[in-house]
Amino acid sequence: MTMIMMIFGIGLTAGVLSGILGIGGGVVLVPMLVLLLGITQHTAQGISMLVIIPTSIVSVWYFYKERLINYQAAAYLAGGAAVGAFISANFVQAVPASELKRIFGIFVIFAGFRMIWATRKRK
Amino acid sequence: MTERLKFAGAGFVVGVLSGLLGVGGGIFLVPIMVTYFNITQHIAQATSMAIVIPTALISSIIYGFHGNTDVNLALNLIVGSILGASIGARIMKRIPPIRLQQLFAVLLIVVGVRMVLT
Repeated sequence: MTMIMMIFGIGLTAGVLSGILGIGGGVVLVPMLVLLLGITQHTAQGISMLVIIPTSIVSVWYFYKERLINYQAAAYLAGGAAVGAFISANFVQAVPASELKRIFGIFVIFAGFRMIWATRKRK
Repeated sequence: MTERLKFAGAGFVVGVLSGLLGVGGGIFLVPIMVTYFNITQHIAQATSMAIVIPTALISSIIYGFHGNTDVNLALNLIVGSILGASIGARIMKRIPPIRLQQLFAVLLIVVGVRMVLT
């Protein structure tokens, strides 16, 4: 029961941040799955991708009604991103989990600093 | 034409990182759209979510194919995340997300350091 509540809480947190910040939520989900639930890095990343799909569909529905989506940018960026993901999602399976966790950690630190930098420039 | 090529190129790079890290890629897409393509913050965030859908779909099929997923756990998480996303998307338009972004950034750095060290 506590486990289910915890999983629900993790999903809820990732969803709220995802909607507010316009990100998939994977950057919050993966570390929570690995650090709180003890799931291996590869599986956490796989789960994260699955969770992202319905979460972003819900957000897109609201943004579509608010007319906030730039369709031209979306179409071309999505085309490129789909090809890129197709290549790297296959490649990543061969990377050892401990290495992948470290790569992910470095990426998250970088993302954090970049976010702080972005808020400074806007002021 | 060149604008479209730039979009596709930027998308490709984001897609590679997305598949590699198991994240949607929005964390790269939003700043790229705002900085290089002069798209406003709110539109960039909304557009980012639309790009994330096909990218995540392809990655999750490949991760699943390699046996690296847990559908039951994903479904449990989805219940919470769908509810969360509808709350987040509603309040997104009303708040200037600067303070939130700073808090979130600090959280990311702390989490990242833990992941590198453990």
